[in-house]
Amino acid sequence: MTDFASLVDLDRCTVSPRVFNDQDVYEVELEKIFTRTWLFVGHESQIPEPNDYLTTFMGAEPVLLTRDASGSIRVLLNSCRHRGMRVCRRDHGNAKLFNCPYHGWAYDTGGKLRGVPQLEESYYNELNRDEWGLIEIPRVESFRGLIFANFDAEGESLEEYLGDMAWYLDLIVNRSKNGMIAFPGCHRWRLGGNWKLAAEQFGGDNYHAGALHRSMVEIGLGTQGDFRGKNPWISDFEVKCGNGHGFINFDIDSGEAPPIQAAFFEQIRREAVETLTPEQAKLVLSVQVGTVFPNLSIISFIGFTSVRVWHPCGPKEIRVHSYGLVEHDAPPEVKEITRKMLGLTFSSSGIYEQDDGVAWGDIAEFQGGPVRRKYPFNYQMGRGHGKRMDDKPGLIHPPSTEIGVFGLYEKWREMMAR
Amino acid sequence: MTTDLRLQIEEVMIEESWLLDGNRFEDWLALMTDDIRYWAPVRENLGRDEEDFHQLHLLTHFDEDRMTMGLRVARLRTGFAHAEEPPSRRRHFVSNVKILDASSPESVQVASNFIVFRSRPGLEEHLFVGGRRDQWVHTEAGWRLRERMIIFDHDVIENITVFI
Repeated sequence: MTDFASLVDLDRCTVSPRVFNDQDVYEVELEKIFTRTWLFVGHESQIPEPNDYLTTFMGAEPVLLTRDASGSIRVLLNSCRHRGMRVCRRDHGNAKLFNCPYHGWAYDTGGKLRGVPQLEESYYNELNRDEWGLIEIPRVESFRGLIFANFDAEGESLEEYLGDMAWYLDLIVNRSKNGMIAFPGCHRWRLGGNWKLAAEQFGGDNYHAGALHRSMVEIGLGTQGDFRGKNPWISDFEVKCGNGHGFINFDIDSGEAPPIQAAFFEQIRREAVETLTPEQAKLVLSVQVGTVFPNLSIISFIGFTSVRVWHPCGPKEIRVHSYGLVEHDAPPEVKEITRKMLGLTFSSSGIYEQDDGVAWGDIAEFQGGPVRRKYPFNYQMGRGHGKRMDDKPGLIHPPSTEIGVFGLYEKWREMMAR
Repeated sequence: MTTDLRLQIEEVMIEESWLLDGNRFEDWLALMTDDIRYWAPVRENLGRDEEDFHQLHLLTHFDEDRMTMGLRVARLRTGFAHAEEPPSRRRHFVSNVKILDASSPESVQVASNFIVFRSRPGLEEHLFVGGRRDQWVHTEAGWRLRERMIIFDHDVIENITVFI
């Protein structure tokens, strides 16, 4: 029996390599973390009409995000109660019924079992259909259009769970009056690596950028080689938000936007003054990157926004589902500029993101040997140099630091040791 | 006439593969017009009667113009594009070239299939498979690519570090 708490050393700020490549650790994570936290399942704009649905995953479980016939948002296990086949194998759509391909049991978008072939002849009308609806995830809550679900019927509300992180998410998803919508489609790609390596990087590792993304600096796109910004504490900082969440804010000059996009940025800045607090409004349209524990990350800069889930697929594989968000009110031309930028930079072919995947894959693939496992990884950067500030929540550090990143492992340890 | 045209296009596609597999990316870019659109919509699993890749604002794996193609190539030359450093071994196979529309002698619409094999140092081997819809235009210098839509036949794709 592994003592999971021993894998994260709170005093030394170190983490065992086993956390990133051990099958036993992974199996326990699925239970102790993924069935007990708020997990992102989709955006409200993806299911606008009654009977709209989207298929995704919560940890290891395939789920259906639906808007039922009466308009309520529900999350259901995508698994027939009879033999367990997925009742829906499309990415999204609109349907009154999900018909299981195997024996034909049929469920509505609220999960109720509506049809059973041979109910009379072979079940002798003795099957109580009310008992055999799709398994419903007990809690579903939204934050500014972002829908989360939780297998745990008890515990913190989504708002309590997000805590200080909500203030920072608002910098992106609440910076405009009419909010954001999702682009159609999803960047879905496979990467070698452990899901936590991806989550930690977005939650507070700007330190990697100068080395791993040096190619971008070399071609003149990373305007500042060390990715640290110029105004520490003020506009260039990292935040440990509690509950394992982390956020990075940089006010890096991203170069000149096309005129129509620059005009739209001005519109967002004007709207943000009304939708946000004065302290928040000052930070709008910085480079912003964050992770909501355990596996939702968000990145927003030069107008594009990606929300992505690092779906765990064994200890050494990640399935990335990345959705693009854009302001509802953006002109079509701006939507197109934004969509192209997202694909160019942070996507399955992104000129930043290509290289991230290689680091995570290498660590998971090659560092699982019995010798290397004895020596923990170092997360000590910036320890003891953060402070609480009046104008923004959370524990603030100037870049670079790994205190926010380590917060993810503090939360991980707490949940794994329960 | 059509056979001759198909052979001409096949020849330039073979040249493309030769240049890409030989790391001659700049020479490959030179086969594109200045107003090139090089794009690859994401694929979705929808109903049989629903086309997935013609939705407005659909996300794309690539949607490049001359400038961004140049950036992608320049990045590979820095020595710090770590996903391709050391470079992967790549092999392009292009087949099933079909002229879709040759009504204009200066501009043809062409369909083709591709398989791209990629082997990365110490990591897995992958295949990228799909079809392409191209527009080739005839110039004084020869055939030049004006538009390429890449239709990947993948649901969950690999980290795309290659050109198709």
